[in-house]
Amino acid sequence: MIALIRTEFTKAARRTRSLVIVLLLVGLPTLIVVAINSRGRRGDGDQGEGLFRLAQQSGYLVPAAVLSAMSGFLLVVIAGTFAGDSVAGDASWGNLRYLLMRPVPRGRLLVAKAIVAGMLIWAATILVALAGLVAGVFLFGAKSVTVPGLSSFAGTTGNLVNGFQLSQGVLLVRVLIATAYVAFGFTALLALGTLFSTLTDTAASAIGATAGVYIVSEILDGITQLGRIRYLFPTHYFNAWETMFTDNRYSHDMITGVISQLVYLAVFGTAAIVWFRQKDIRS
Amino acid sequence: MSDAIVEVEGLWKSFGSVSAVEDLSFAVQRGQVYGLLGPNGAGKTTTLRILMGLERPSRGSTRLFGERVTPSSRQFVRVGAMVEQAAFVPHLSGMRNLKLWWEAGGARMKDADLDGALAIADLGDAIDRRVKTYSQGMKQRLGFARLLLGRPELLVLDEPTNGLDPGEIREIRELIGRLSTHGSTVLLSSHHLSEVEQVCSHVLVMNHGRLVADGTVSELIGSAEGSVYVEVDDRERALALLSNLPSVSKVQIQGDGLVVELRDGRRSDLAAALVGSGFRLETIMPTQRLEDAFLDLLAAGEVAQQRAREAEVVS
Repeated sequence: MIALIRTEFTKAARRTRSLVIVLLLVGLPTLIVVAINSRGRRGDGDQGEGLFRLAQQSGYLVPAAVLSAMSGFLLVVIAGTFAGDSVAGDASWGNLRYLLMRPVPRGRLLVAKAIVAGMLIWAATILVALAGLVAGVFLFGAKSVTVPGLSSFAGTTGNLVNGFQLSQGVLLVRVLIATAYVAFGFTALLALGTLFSTLTDTAASAIGATAGVYIVSEILDGITQLGRIRYLFPTHYFNAWETMFTDNRYSHDMITGVISQLVYLAVFGTAAIVWFRQKDIRS
Repeated sequence: MSDAIVEVEGLWKSFGSVSAVEDLSFAVQRGQVYGLLGPNGAGKTTTLRILMGLERPSRGSTRLFGERVTPSSRQFVRVGAMVEQAAFVPHLSGMRNLKLWWEAGGARMKDADLDGALAIADLGDAIDRRVKTYSQGMKQRLGFARLLLGRPELLVLDEPTNGLDPGEIREIRELIGRLSTHGSTVLLSSHHLSEVEQVCSHVLVMNHGRLVADGTVSELIGSAEGSVYVEVDDRERALALLSNLPSVSKVQIQGDGLVVELRDGRRSDLAAALVGSGFRLETIMPTQRLEDAFLDLLAAGEVAQQRAREAEVVS
């Protein structure tokens, strides 16, 4: 299995596309931080909302702000690319049949590919957070944060009535937890993308379908009239981690979010393995 | 115990209502160069895909080295296969492709015949270039290098010369010849009749997924009604002699020799009769090549299948 993971990782990491993604994941958070900084220095009164507003107090909060900004679309597309390309990429090159004409169990190959896609998704999320942290500390310094009272965050409760302070240590720990939660939040997408990747021989189709399902899920999740059905969407608990910074509490939704991701992993992952093991390879 | 390396028994494969392979059976013995011959769409590639575990048969079974084939069968380690065109990870070099493919199977690089494979590929410095810069011929040669890394006992080659120029085709044919001389068994599919005729010792002719005929190349040529081209030192006297032989149905002059149509297809009797009558026999060869036999067999197969269908309708 380790040999399979190593070979699959080499194939994925050595693509020009991976280099472009790395540049994007480093460049965009840096750009966001520069934009926050320039807006704050203009002093025109409009200093943004929520995490972006708070991020100007300390570089330690910038990773949270950029994760919040990028996990809704760009990271979804990138994660969808890694997952959707995992099997369909080899199929579109015609290379999949050569991998399978060896005594390598199909299930093991699929799991190795999914693990590599998962590693890349985690690496991408960590890179975003790291780029935000470095740029944030450089521009805003490494300081504790004072979160203002209720008037700044309409609709929130509890600690926000009087505001609260987050020390540097707490901020760093919470940034780590937030990064891990966001990365783990792509688990369902990873499993779904891997399943789609076994269903088609065209990588672009698998990538588009994966990202498309997630974006539709996010849109539908925003329609509150759908009621409890929204709880079933894989993106419903995506932003549950933000209360660590805006409300000074660990939301119970984070636990529910982790469980829902595991359930989706089990369902889509099993479907992908069952399908791939019996599939006729025509590519 | 059978020495068959490949055994295909009662194989059927359907895609919806379309049958790609119907009740196909054959066996490849150790050391044979066995050709699957048929027009495009005959079911050759599907048969090889099933043999290599890429597709599941609808019915019937395939065996490699006596073991039933399943996806990821452990017997694949003894097989070097090229199904359709050679394909690689395009953004990696030829060398890295070879190494990654080998290691992905859990094998160590030191166990591979890398030097031998690279000699076969003969790509020079291009082996370190990205595969996407390769010509089709270079990819095909790299494909041969890959399948030879494990010193396979059986080579499964699907249309191995497709897309190659004449020089490359000749190289590949010579390579197959060398490999079979060194003891490898080869199962090769092709619709190039000359390729099969030059390379294969045994041939199975397929059409519409069905077996039409099988045997040695000479048996297949002989199995169709044939004629023989003969050159002797005295053509006119030979014409008179052969016209009166009961085994000869017709003789006519063609060029410097005679075309003799035989009733029972035995060239050896004809040669014996000519030599026995004091002729110096310069040339004796079938006027029919595999191409003629192939077309005759396909036509006969079509007629037989049509009759079978009509019989089914009547019953």
